[in-house]
Amino acid sequence: MDLFLHYLALPYLLKGIGFTIAVTLLGLAGGLVVGLVLASMQLSRVGPLALFARGHTVIFRGTPLILQLVFAYDALPHIGLKLSAIGAAGLALAANEGPFIAEILRAGVLGVERGQLLAGRALGMTPTVLMHRIIAPQAIRMIVPALGNESVSALKNSSLASVIAVDELTLRSTQLASSTFDFFSIFFASGLMYLLLTGAIAAIQLIAEAALDLDRPASERFARLLPWRRASVAASTPRASVTTLSNDALLERQLPSGPGKDYKPQDRTQRYAELMRQRAAVQISGLSKRYGDQTVLEGFDLTVRAGEVVALLGPSGSGKSTLLRCINHLEQWNSGDIRLDGQRLGVRVDGRPMTQHEIANERASAGVGMVFQHFNLFSHLTACENVAGPLRWVHGMAPADAERRARELLDSVGLAHRADALPRHLSGGQQQRVAIARALAPRPRVLLLDEPTSALDPELVGEVLEVIQRLAIEGGLTMIISTHQLRFADEVADRVVFMSGGAVVEEGPAHEILTHPRHPLTMRFLSVMSADSRLAVAS
Amino acid sequence: MHTNLVDHAHGLRRAGGAHRHWQALLLGAICLLALLISGHAKAATAAVPAECKALQAKYPQFKGKTFVNAINPHTPGYEALDPNDPSKYVGFDIDLGETIGNCLGFTMTYKPVTFAALLTTLQSGQADIVISDIYATEERAKAADFITYSKVFDGVLVAKGNPKKITGINPSMCGTTAAENTGYVEVPLIQNLSPACKAASKPEAAVQLYDNNANCIQAILSGRADTYVNDVNTVDQAVKAYPDQLEKATAVTLPYSVGIGVPKDKPEFRAAVMAALVAVQKAGIQTDLLKKWSLGAENLETPKLIVSN
Repeated sequence: MDLFLHYLALPYLLKGIGFTIAVTLLGLAGGLVVGLVLASMQLSRVGPLALFARGHTVIFRGTPLILQLVFAYDALPHIGLKLSAIGAAGLALAANEGPFIAEILRAGVLGVERGQLLAGRALGMTPTVLMHRIIAPQAIRMIVPALGNESVSALKNSSLASVIAVDELTLRSTQLASSTFDFFSIFFASGLMYLLLTGAIAAIQLIAEAALDLDRPASERFARLLPWRRASVAASTPRASVTTLSNDALLERQLPSGPGKDYKPQDRTQRYAELMRQRAAVQISGLSKRYGDQTVLEGFDLTVRAGEVVALLGPSGSGKSTLLRCINHLEQWNSGDIRLDGQRLGVRVDGRPMTQHEIANERASAGVGMVFQHFNLFSHLTACENVAGPLRWVHGMAPADAERRARELLDSVGLAHRADALPRHLSGGQQQRVAIARALAPRPRVLLLDEPTSALDPELVGEVLEVIQRLAIEGGLTMIISTHQLRFADEVADRVVFMSGGAVVEEGPAHEILTHPRHPLTMRFLSVMSADSRLAVAS
Repeated sequence: MHTNLVDHAHGLRRAGGAHRHWQALLLGAICLLALLISGHAKAATAAVPAECKALQAKYPQFKGKTFVNAINPHTPGYEALDPNDPSKYVGFDIDLGETIGNCLGFTMTYKPVTFAALLTTLQSGQADIVISDIYATEERAKAADFITYSKVFDGVLVAKGNPKKITGINPSMCGTTAAENTGYVEVPLIQNLSPACKAASKPEAAVQLYDNNANCIQAILSGRADTYVNDVNTVDQAVKAYPDQLEKATAVTLPYSVGIGVPKDKPEFRAAVMAALVAVQKAGIQTDLLKKWSLGAENLETPKLIVSN
């Protein structure tokens, strides 16, 4: 025991810890760089890059670290690269850690819900903004445990550097054991030192996990420094400013709070006739879209007038969702074109196709908002941040203005009291209302709603429909809604477009089509659906 | 350096939140320092023979230089950490190397590697010289040139009482297990017993390969191996450390010499080291060093070159 304590306090061994830490840090820092490069190469889907990354992974993950160390130390000098022992150890450890860290990073990136990426793109985020604001914050939180694991493994692996004369703890322990013959006291002492080091890593990991835990109050010092955490601006904003902003005409137009308008048949006919005289907000001509052999849209034509509310009906697989995604250019189509206010989508002034970055900017400026079936809220952001964040990142709005607008919109969808809640703490209906607020925030000219109530429990459908209905009643906002809710379509839509097999089967004034369908496919669909939803279509 | 580290360790224990970033800075500084300083030790200087002045005049290119000596510092008596001050290497080889260095006017730093890596380290240029109780065989001469300085006497280390009745590298080893270091010349000698064992209808001798002396000795202490054949003085040191558990069965003479390894592409360096070694021997310094480390003056051998092309 005395010997053990003697060796535990021996400066010679304690100094070895410095080298152990140095090699580990070099290996981890280098490994993180290599891992980032490898992961981006693999995620880039560029053939040769991905292949190179795969090759590196196969070689360095598939050979023992000890061989790589000896190679870096003894073989590289033959090609004129003579690294110091620590340099060679750092290089080998980094090359070895790289592929493991790359896989961890990749898992983190791929672990972010696809729907959130779609929503981010729909909001006009460029790939860089998407990575920085949506993917990275969530991926980092997911990979902390795996990175902690990898750091412990790297620390232990650093002991292998003893074979290339890095003067670290293991080399010092073995040499000391040879000269003193105190084999066990020395190895127990160095074992305890390693335990303390790995214990420190475990502690850092726990602190990081706690700091990144979204369920903890954001007031913690570390978390406040993170880019995706915003100090609550509105908390200090006087209530008066909201009153000032209620004069905002656009907001008034989008979200009237008055009682529902009574739809009389003659009003509807008149409104329909007026709408048909409006300019075309969305013009789709000859649109075809194929996934492999499967044709989803075939020569699709549709014109939507400014202020018009169009309900897309049709069986699953009829191409409704694909059509909406094309309008927002989330999908690339095979032929035909889409014009928003006369502007052709996806084509630059010089006639060449746009890059992802340009498409994102086009989306942001075109003024098309989108609401998804599965809400696709950014799960690491509060309801308020879901709305305010994109305003800052995409539209460059000042933080205070963005926050103010977000809170107003949440207020108008009845969620002022849940503004600081995370999506996971909201019901489905509440989440969808936040999603609608988010889509409305940049003041879009066209709002696309892709089966906005299909993923909701029946008792939550009403609250969402009510919000959409309020949007529709006052008019002004052009909306295209794909839905299975016939009664809702009847109440909200000016026009119903019935789709089947990627083409328009029948279209016309909503009430007319829903009550007097002409095409057999429409009739059959409506009778099945109305049996389901007990819609009195015959009235 | 030492004071810093210990202070730091205490500091961590009483670390308060307010001082945390200072400690992080300190930790960073220590890591940097650890990177910058070389932990390798130097041995005390010995006397310098008279011819050395002439040699330094003849080989001025080595004067004032620092050369890296690759050693396998697991052999107390030859090269090992000083148990009283682990920042230093001590032993006969260390003293001899320092004396040669003094004679030619260069200093030595040390690079501790496994025995099997001694010559690869020299070949890769990560070391300039190898003085580490390495036997100069024809095989090894393909990797480095050798200047011999000592005869080889091996001892046979066994458990107390020699339960397997081993009497040397001979058929008495058949059916037993020998612990050896990777790359040791004894390994093929033991493996070559196989025909003799077969003729005597006994099982072959098994060899367990380890990285250093201490591991080989531990193999006998833990009962994993029956014997460890190595330099007789190393064996004596082991017996001295564990008198109740180990003993030397016998001593054997091997037809080798111990040599200083130098790179094959540096004939001038080789000539200078050889001339210095001759001068050191002539002045009686090597004999004094053999006595100092209780290795026996009969070990001394007049330098000769072992090279292969």
